Amino acid sequence: MKSLRRLGAVATLLAIPGASVRMSAQEGERPVFRVKVDMVVLAFNVTDNKGRYINGLKPSDFRILEDGIVQKIATFAEGNRPAVQVLEDGTTRPLIATTPESGGAGTASAAELRSDAFIGTNVFVLFDTSNYMYRGFVYASDAIADFIRGLDRADSVAVYTFSRNLNRASPLSRDRNDVITGLRSAVAGDDAALYNALLLTLRDASKVPGRKVVIVFSNGPDNASMVAPDDVRAVAEDEGIPIYVISTADATKDVTSSAVFRRISTRTGGKTYFAKTWQKQVEAFESIREDLGNSYTITYYPAQNPNEGFRKIAVEIVSDPGKKLRVRARPGYRPRAGF
Amino acid sequence: MRLHSAALLILLAAVSGQGQQDANTRARELESKGDGWGARTLLQQAANHGEPGAARDYAEFLDRHKDPAAREAYRTAIAAADGRESRIALARRLVLLDLIAGDYDSASKDLERYREYGGAEFSGSVKVPPASEAGPVAVVQIPGPIRSFSRMAALSPDLMPKDVLTALARNVVTNGYQASSSNEALEQTEYLKLVVRYLSQARELEKLAGAGKTIRIEQCESAEAADILRVLGYRMRGACGGDVVLETVNATRAFLTIDSGFPLAELEQALRTNRPFVYDYRPTEVPVLFGPEYWLSSRDKQGGVFIDVFLSDPSVCRLYLGLSKLDRETAEVLRKQMPAQKIRVLSHVIDFFGGMFQIRNGKAIVPGGAPSAKGWSDLVGESPDSGGAFFEKLIARDDGWMASYFDALARVDGPLQAYLTEPERMKRFYSALRGRVTSPGPARPVFRSNTDLMLLTTRLRVDSQGRAVIPGSIDVWKNLFINHPHGKYDGKLTRLATSWKEPDDVVEALFALCRKAVDNEPLKIFMALSDMDRRRTTPMRPETVDRLAREYRTYGAQYSLLNELPTLSDRTINAFLDTAKEISQIGNNELRADTAGTMQALAGLWQIFCRQRAISPDAADEALFELLAPFGRMREEYELFAAGVSGIKVLLKATGSTGSESPQDRMIALLAGSPSPADTDSHRQVVQDMMRIFEAQRLVSITSLMDLSEHLDRIAQGERLNTALVNRIVSRVSEINLPRASLSTAERNAFAFGYWTEKHIDNQRKLNLRAVIEKAGTDAEKLREVRGELAGFLRDTLVGFNYMHYAPPGAQVLYTNPLFVRSHDFLGMQGSVQTWRQTEVLGTGWPSSAGGRLVGSLSGLPYALAEAEQNFLVPTREQALIWGDLVPQMILSSKIPRWWNVSPSQVHWLALHLQYAESLLAESALNAEMRNKVLAELDKQAVPARVSLVDRLLEEGRVREALDNVTPSEAYGLSIRMLRTDAASGPIAVEIREMAKADPEHINYRAVSRAFGTPKPTLANSYNPELLNLRTFPTLMGYSSRIMAESWESSMLYYAALADEMHLLPSQLNVLVPEWTQKTVEQIFATHLEDWPALLRSLRHVGDEFRARTRKQFAAEQKASLE
Repeated sequence: MKSLRRLGAVATLLAIPGASVRMSAQEGERPVFRVKVDMVVLAFNVTDNKGRYINGLKPSDFRILEDGIVQKIATFAEGNRPAVQVLEDGTTRPLIATTPESGGAGTASAAELRSDAFIGTNVFVLFDTSNYMYRGFVYASDAIADFIRGLDRADSVAVYTFSRNLNRASPLSRDRNDVITGLRSAVAGDDAALYNALLLTLRDASKVPGRKVVIVFSNGPDNASMVAPDDVRAVAEDEGIPIYVISTADATKDVTSSAVFRRISTRTGGKTYFAKTWQKQVEAFESIREDLGNSYTITYYPAQNPNEGFRKIAVEIVSDPGKKLRVRARPGYRPRAGF
Repeated sequence: MRLHSAALLILLAAVSGQGQQDANTRARELESKGDGWGARTLLQQAANHGEPGAARDYAEFLDRHKDPAAREAYRTAIAAADGRESRIALARRLVLLDLIAGDYDSASKDLERYREYGGAEFSGSVKVPPASEAGPVAVVQIPGPIRSFSRMAALSPDLMPKDVLTALARNVVTNGYQASSSNEALEQTEYLKLVVRYLSQARELEKLAGAGKTIRIEQCESAEAADILRVLGYRMRGACGGDVVLETVNATRAFLTIDSGFPLAELEQALRTNRPFVYDYRPTEVPVLFGPEYWLSSRDKQGGVFIDVFLSDPSVCRLYLGLSKLDRETAEVLRKQMPAQKIRVLSHVIDFFGGMFQIRNGKAIVPGGAPSAKGWSDLVGESPDSGGAFFEKLIARDDGWMASYFDALARVDGPLQAYLTEPERMKRFYSALRGRVTSPGPARPVFRSNTDLMLLTTRLRVDSQGRAVIPGSIDVWKNLFINHPHGKYDGKLTRLATSWKEPDDVVEALFALCRKAVDNEPLKIFMALSDMDRRRTTPMRPETVDRLAREYRTYGAQYSLLNELPTLSDRTINAFLDTAKEISQIGNNELRADTAGTMQALAGLWQIFCRQRAISPDAADEALFELLAPFGRMREEYELFAAGVSGIKVLLKATGSTGSESPQDRMIALLAGSPSPADTDSHRQVVQDMMRIFEAQRLVSITSLMDLSEHLDRIAQGERLNTALVNRIVSRVSEINLPRASLSTAERNAFAFGYWTEKHIDNQRKLNLRAVIEKAGTDAEKLREVRGELAGFLRDTLVGFNYMHYAPPGAQVLYTNPLFVRSHDFLGMQGSVQTWRQTEVLGTGWPSSAGGRLVGSLSGLPYALAEAEQNFLVPTREQALIWGDLVPQMILSSKIPRWWNVSPSQVHWLALHLQYAESLLAESALNAEMRNKVLAELDKQAVPARVSLVDRLLEEGRVREALDNVTPSEAYGLSIRMLRTDAASGPIAVEIREMAKADPEHINYRAVSRAFGTPKPTLANSYNPELLNLRTFPTLMGYSSRIMAESWESSMLYYAALADEMHLLPSQLNVLVPEWTQKTVEQIFATHLEDWPALLRSLRHVGDEFRARTRKQFAAEQKASLE
């Protein structure tokens, strides 16, 4: 799926004001990137009107607007391939490959960003282990394990579980065995505080540079959260983290929870799947995996914008003048207060 | 944390340059200023230079601060010492430090040297304890590894094997059985069913493990693999090798596999890589109290398996739990005294109230001692001299009332115990408590139901003449019982009240009410007013007490605020009640909510400033009176705005503000704790945390609001509109959005913000301030109304200041829900007026709300905020959950005290007390006479079983383990009590006394209590931090772990000692204590609601981590400085 052979576009937009990139020409041809607070990272998918992914687009195919103001693209990446720097003339060049030890030598910047920060996706799986999930607990665990095994090698994955409290069962890692060991250590039981847990997961994810998503695996009910779904959704929007939801409940059984799931996923650039059976759950994970593997990631510094409130972001595909490509994008983000 | 390396370099230079100058004196100076690391380096350098006495000074300095290098330094000092006495003293101290460190080999050698030098104080010898407990221990086997069983049975993995069955028994008693829906029998809960199923699966695995007790799969394609997977409920998908995946085939079995923590992922990996899988599957052996035979019936003995029998009979578990709370001697006597059937029937009484039973040399130890023995003998019908028979009768009597009475009286000591155990009074109060109908007894429910009795006996005050202190006068209470505004409390007591003449009459009535299962309002009133009077310099007037008693139901939650200032006048107390009453009468709901919110917020700020000494006690009374004055008879919002501004000005004036700073900045600085701190780093961090919340809540600066208000006055006089000023507020207001717009119809219907709360937010959101001002033109009347529009903003900012001050560590709710402060509901749900009631958390769980919010007054704000935040803490231990009811109290204890004005010497003085207790206990291992004295004092705060355990451990030479079984608060209490006796001697006791003598104004128990005490809103009706040196309470009905948490004073004492050890500035605690508390909470793995040892373990773990990190940092900095 590497050629532009389908029409339509699905854009998932990641705006991450807390983790962005600035270039420094200190090493001649090989720029070093540092995280600064005002940078934005966008990740999105492009599909045709039949929902098929569109690949092979180039930076010059995109125009990013924030409140109608055109943005200058800083870096570009497709799928899990390394990000490239986008130069003034629209050409690209590779980013420096650094290791944590050597990265940013001489600058001592804690926020130094390795070029491989944009290779792969940081996937946070949030697994509901409350009393509500008691019956399907083991099947869910199997489905998540399958999903983890099938992720791209470049992806990192963390497994968090929650009931009344969050449990970081396995921190972000590329070692699948470690992660599955963490997953298999989950303990079932107690109340469900889904949105509390989702908030804490987003807070953790926001500290990680690069592209990240949160996948919630739950059947919906929440009887213990202090925060409302829409407040959590706002955090995901602002941090630029798409939320995917796999609900093991029937969408028609609990219309309110279903509506909430749909809203938080759509508004953050993710998707919701209602997968009551184990087979459907596996399919949902497969779909998410495809979504992740067929995405684009763009970073940019927001141009001067007096709006300190919600900034609307639009992704335009300039190579699609007929607007046949479908763009599904998050509406935008609120810049972080400069405090 | 930055260590003092710059100072250190200068000092090093000074030492080497000035040679023999008195390094010790200079080190003391540095120490008193909080530069302990500098002092340490200075003394170390002096010791390295071989200056006379320097080695000793250095060793003693390290010792005073519990530095692990102290023992080595003492050895050097002994070698350098020139006098016999000096050598003996140093060697003596070294022996104790060896014991405290658990280094028994060194202790033995050093004791020999001590004696060689001529030391003769220690008569005993150091016993090198064996690796395990002495004596044969009867054990039973539980199939499978302990980790798996613990996971299934919800037991902490930190439990010692000897505690496993006790903890299991408790879980079975509290969670294992429920009433059957079909008949009267009990049936197993899902919890217990899973444990039983797990045991069955574990037995199957045990069989497969064979004689070697090891599960072994050599290769993927094998019969063993198939057998084991079948038992585990899994099967292989894909061919052996890299493609193989384990998937569920039997959900029930697979659930047990996962839930018990079987290493499934490792097994899968072994199959994928075709490597052998080996898993140790030896059964777990756990000791059984009295041996398994005691617990098995004759039928069970013929083939029953202990663990199955144990789980199947909740009465066995209850008895096991009860007897394990007794000390060995007492338990043994009771076991022999009572037939198995009888003791089992009474197991619930032993479980709840047996913990304070003590039999020594066959005699029962009774509260009040010998003078009360006759009284107990009369009450029980058996002499305490026959210990076993005495307790048998005690527990068998009246369904547990007498046992609960005994338990409550045994938990107090001193004059209060003497008062309560005076034989005639004791009988009288017991009679009142017992009543005529004894069933149901206080041990029947799942939790102890004698909460009120315990509160009464613990908190009752006795004057110097040994009489109960009755707030106000006896007539106040007579009147309350006879003419209560809300109806009679008790018909009989109402009749009796007419003849009350003595304090004992009132106390008797309170005892009588303690047996009531319903809300005991008179006791609550009595305790609240007693606590208010206790702290006051002069008692309240009877008429004030009378009014407070009568209006308790409406305004009782506010009394903790009135309890803040010991010198608060009766005039101001009455003014507060008058104002509250007038606010309650405001007809307009919005105005009433805004007025109550503004008034309560200002009063809350006054309370904070008083507590932090920002308002001097002399000015505090007048400030509150003045602040309240404009809130009476509020009719319009603009009047409210003016009252709010007036209140701000009163507070700023009372705090000595000069007016050079903006009101907003000044208020923030005051809230942080100190307007001009010496430690700017910590202060900046505290301010920054508060400002983040201010921003997240989109609050409007009071300076902007006050400026705009003044500007409106000038507009009326013709000045042009200051658009910049208006825009500042407008832009902030525009960020307030209700989430409603994006909700579906179903969600909107389920949405429950609260009508008036939503209206309050909506009014602000819809306000077009600029248009309103422009429309008003220069019309003074209309501009005044514009000012009224600002009243809601002012309320929110003032309420927000309170929220910011008490914001728990993390503060996720405050950072995430931008409407959290604004959604504070001062009115309450329809039909319930909550304006003056305790703050409550409402609306948790989607989709019933727009997120949780707080309802009621601001009086319980610190607790409510902590409660709202507790579930955002992330347990670091697998399977652990945040401990509700305990954690909020821990959080607020870390947020309310501030340490800007605490001196390093105060911290050190407190830490010396804990160290002194350690030394006393260590010395007790070598000195039987000392041990008796120490244990007698420890007995006043620790339960008998633990005192007995400590005694046994000391006897066996296990000093380190003995120390681990004493809480910091018990250690502190022990020191205080021992220092009052002649037995107190040695260098630490001398140091403690000298420090107090040198600076009596600051180095005293009251100052330390204020600095390192904890707020006790339930136990003491006050948020003012104080140390009460109480026994740790058990879990109580109606309060769960909350009172236990309030009686837990060890955390702050531990942190203080840690700060002294690590040479921290006290002001750094303002940042560190909340952090440490969060870590401590996240580390706790408790098995049940009284598992404070789990809390203690976590506390020590966090302290150890901090110590290691800080010492490493110091070593690195020292090395860098030297280089």
